Amino acid sequence: MSSMLNLSAQQREHGDFADRVFEESGVDVRKCYQCGKCSAGCSVHICGGMDVSPNRIMRMVQLGMEDEVLRTRTIWACVLCSTCTARCPRDIDIARVMDTIRIMAKKRGITEGFNNANVFHDIFMNSIIKYGRVYEAGLFVALKLKQSGTMFADLPIGIPAMISAAFRMPKLPPKMKNSDQVRKVVENCKKIEGEN
Amino acid sequence: MRYAYYPGCSLHSMETSYDRSVKAVCKHLGVELWEIPDWVCCGASSGHSMGHLVGLAIPAKSLVKAEKEGLDVLAPCAACWQRMVWVNHEINSSPEMKDKISRAIEEEINGTSKIFSIIDFLAAFGMDKLAQAVKKPLKGLKVASYYGCYYVKPPKVAHVDDPENPHLMDDMMKALGAEAVDWPFKTECCGASMIFQDVDTTVSMSKKIVEMAYKAGADVIVTACPVCEMNLDMRMEQINKKFKTNYKIPVVYFTELMAYAMGSVPQEIGLDSGHCTDTQLLLAKIS
Repeated sequence: MSSMLNLSAQQREHGDFADRVFEESGVDVRKCYQCGKCSAGCSVHICGGMDVSPNRIMRMVQLGMEDEVLRTRTIWACVLCSTCTARCPRDIDIARVMDTIRIMAKKRGITEGFNNANVFHDIFMNSIIKYGRVYEAGLFVALKLKQSGTMFADLPIGIPAMISAAFRMPKLPPKMKNSDQVRKVVENCKKIEGEN
Repeated sequence: MRYAYYPGCSLHSMETSYDRSVKAVCKHLGVELWEIPDWVCCGASSGHSMGHLVGLAIPAKSLVKAEKEGLDVLAPCAACWQRMVWVNHEINSSPEMKDKISRAIEEEINGTSKIFSIIDFLAAFGMDKLAQAVKKPLKGLKVASYYGCYYVKPPKVAHVDDPENPHLMDDMMKALGAEAVDWPFKTECCGASMIFQDVDTTVSMSKKIVEMAYKAGADVIVTACPVCEMNLDMRMEQINKKFKTNYKIPVVYFTELMAYAMGSVPQEIGLDSGHCTDTQLLLAKIS
């Protein structure tokens, strides 16, 4: 982000970003008046999981800073707890905006803001497309192989917890009569969205 | 009473103590559960981030089966429950979306099945009725009820209880004879699926909740969400290592305590072995 920005020119030339976010989400980000309540209550932000606070994301959308917003860690780090949405005095569904921008980023292949999150979503979707349900053991192994820097992140849970988890986790993929249901739904969705 | 039952992936994988205890409580209360045949994952934390339609169509695939059977749905997992509630919300507010979802799942869906979370489902019996079913009151047990986010937020869609100060789980714990501790982090987020993306941040989030329950003097934290349970229960030692603390609070599903109070034995519902935190002290206290 540059340190100097001509706000009027920025808004004039890139105002369509807020319009597109509105079209995709049905949420009007222009209503935000920067009270900061969303950021004050955001647990992820408070615990250091975001690079840009949620209220700043709202302002950046208003200003049409699309490339910058799509490259933030914040849009991926939001877990949709919706505390921001519940507390917003302007009735903006901020969590829905985060989800919408995440979809926009994904469509454009921009995932560097928080690549490990994107890897998680891909592996999760692959798991349910393949098996119909989540295959946790397979998911866990795939995450460890494909994410960067998380290989040993779970070791501190301690040996008793590891034994308990390993004991309870099914070793084989889930069994279903028709495990192809999710794949079919995902394909149909792509077709339907392609029509628009 | 007959309800369609949507367990979801967690309850059929690591969190069988939730599945078993929900079924046990329903049995004690005379509720018949019909498990939705060949149900699929709700898409949970990832489906809706892939696209708005796909995030709705995946849970709709299982929901429509219950609708066809003419049954309301009980979905104990908070994430599954909310994804299904979103489906009905969108179907009922947009005919265009109803049409798109129906085409995606290749069946017509009308949004006519009501979707119950386990919290409002059990609370609807009334505290008197629940108290009457208690055989072993949880006398002297101090319980911190942890609701998490998905049952209460966003309040326009997910309004099981008050979004800032929910009380239904506390009420139910009192009906079982336990003491519900008053504490401020009932709906603070545990970090949810971020545990698979950024362990450090998630553990910091979970620590705040455990710390507050400890300060409030709780003997046990109860949850109604598999992800909350996993993030608090499985990470307890990690929290202690990272923050040099010594928290040893068991984290269990509220349905486990309810099933136990209504006469189930711990082995039957996984209260003895279904968790990473040590539940032996808890069992000693309530037996």
